[in-house]
Amino acid sequence: MLQPSDDEEISPVFKASVHDIRYFTALLRGVNFVNRATVTITDRGLTVTVEEARTLLGTAFIFSDIFDEYFYHSESPPPAPSSQDSQEGEVVDNAAFEVPLNTLIECLNIFGTVGPASTNTSTGKYKKWRKAGDDSDHDNGDEGRGRAGMSNGAHNLGVGARGIDSYFGGPEKRTGMRMTYVGSGYPLTLLIAEDALGPTSTCEITTFDAEPHLELEFDNSQMVLKIILKSSWLRDALSELDPSCDKLTFIGNPPPDASVSNSRQNPKSRIGVQPMLRIQATGTFGSTEMDYPNDRDVLETFECTRAVKFSYRCGHISRTLRALQSSTKTSLRIDEHGLLSLQFLMPSPKPQGAQSEVSDAFIEFRCLALDDDV
Amino acid sequence: MRFRASIENVPTFFKIMQSIEKLQKKCIIKFTETNMHIICNNDANEGGIQVWSQIKVDSLFVGYRIQSNAANEITMALSSEALLAALKSASPSTSSTYETEEVVMKLAKKNGQAVLTLEINSLTRVGRKVRVSHDVKIEVMRPNDVARLSEPLCPEPDLHILLPPLQKLRTIVERLRPMSDILAVRANNSGCLQLSINTEGVKVDTEWKNCTNPKTQNAEDEDEAPDPEKMFSVLVSIRSFLKFLNSHVVSTTTIACICQNHCMILYVYIGDVADAGGVLTFYIPAIIDDENL
Repeated sequence: MLQPSDDEEISPVFKASVHDIRYFTALLRGVNFVNRATVTITDRGLTVTVEEARTLLGTAFIFSDIFDEYFYHSESPPPAPSSQDSQEGEVVDNAAFEVPLNTLIECLNIFGTVGPASTNTSTGKYKKWRKAGDDSDHDNGDEGRGRAGMSNGAHNLGVGARGIDSYFGGPEKRTGMRMTYVGSGYPLTLLIAEDALGPTSTCEITTFDAEPHLELEFDNSQMVLKIILKSSWLRDALSELDPSCDKLTFIGNPPPDASVSNSRQNPKSRIGVQPMLRIQATGTFGSTEMDYPNDRDVLETFECTRAVKFSYRCGHISRTLRALQSSTKTSLRIDEHGLLSLQFLMPSPKPQGAQSEVSDAFIEFRCLALDDDV
Repeated sequence: MRFRASIENVPTFFKIMQSIEKLQKKCIIKFTETNMHIICNNDANEGGIQVWSQIKVDSLFVGYRIQSNAANEITMALSSEALLAALKSASPSTSSTYETEEVVMKLAKKNGQAVLTLEINSLTRVGRKVRVSHDVKIEVMRPNDVARLSEPLCPEPDLHILLPPLQKLRTIVERLRPMSDILAVRANNSGCLQLSINTEGVKVDTEWKNCTNPKTQNAEDEDEAPDPEKMFSVLVSIRSFLKFLNSHVVSTTTIACICQNHCMILYVYIGDVADAGGVLTFYIPAIIDDENL
């Protein structure tokens, strides 16, 4: 990418700050399964994209309003490899670079303040973020209420755990960050500080030019299966799977009461022979099947145009677990060719009723299906 | 050669051994009439970190009796792991069903093998007496070998600074470890301390202000006005530094001394500095590498 002119160099391309890094870090951890990540910056927010085996694409969409301060100053718009922008539809002016994601996360966690790593349960995870809101004086309170309707069980657990936790973790746990990217060829600079008298850390992470990513467009008009469900329902199912499984199959059938495509309330349909949604895992030592009932409490949305059966590599699906664990809601879509799109809504710690509307960030995974005939 | 003492402060002794055990599987303990010295000076030890500690007998033991031909000193080499295990069973926290009444440590000979015996006398909840005895094999060192033990020679340190709580340092250094093998420690005489790594992929500087520079006796007369802002730095192996940080379990106050391009000396005080029950002294050799400075 070009360096436009000398005076442009003075004002950095990107600058952002946040008073509590836990939410941001949790989003990054959700896609931390490949070390090299592409960060794309637009004036609406950041996307962090990783790719594995030309099959799985993970993207965290982090909107600018989760930051306290967010500033993007366009470099001369290069014909950038902006594979992530499919979501936006139009081409957005952006800056992109690659960073080692592990290093970035380690740096953010330098004071050990972003909570336990990866493999904890969802309640543990968003208990952490919630506490962030609790502790800060101006953000206090009712972020929980805004989302209460959305996730009952897991959410309540989170609140309960937070209640206890607040006795232990003091407000000193909060860690703020300022992030600067001067431009192409410059490192990503993080300034991280704990409260008041604590130490400050300056991290300079070498950036690389962004390489083009796999293009996996999800065409909504070709969608054959769409499910929205509470993340805990999917998490519980996937965490049951034996690690020796190598293939995971999603089977979907149109609801028996076919006249209404997204019929949810017919209790009789539960008895139907064909499962509406079945997750089947196959491995060397056997197979597991899990059926979801046709119950609106479980499957909030269920749209299925025809019988669907697509298989994916378990190893790829398990990459999504970390994000799934810290999310509240999941949208699972499959198109005609078996392209799977999993979107996880990551609840933001800010109150929903704040003056500025805070969009919850989400993490999306797209995965190509295994060829069943082979 | 006689030695017998009852351990009054088991938790502290346990914590000291905990930090020693992480450093080296074998250590040397020298008992004198007034002090217990724990020494780790194994050259095979990775990174060359050494510990020379001095703990006042009064802070750990009561009824301390020692007698030997070598000026009433006994020096022994033993497995730090085994002693730690024995102390663990004597620790009140781990044996919740018993109440430890007395822990006696004595020198004995069993089947021709010199051992350090820990006799733990406890009471069960219903008041029955329980006696647990641990024998830790030791090797009594000959006075000739003892005389050959010598602390590393270091130049007069360029700088003294009080470290922040070791627990906090440890968190940070643990994060840095996967990113680099070498850690730069920098400090100046106006309370600034920096821990840095610098590799191709990442550069991280963590800075503390408002640390304390303790007054040293000889600093006053020797150099009159050293620039308080001048940074002194030393490069050390990050693994060695982490090993030293294991002593966070026992530390209260830690003073770091930087001998630029030579070594780092760390005094970990056990108990209050003013009334220190003892001090563990860690020597970490410097890595000489001009590129990273």
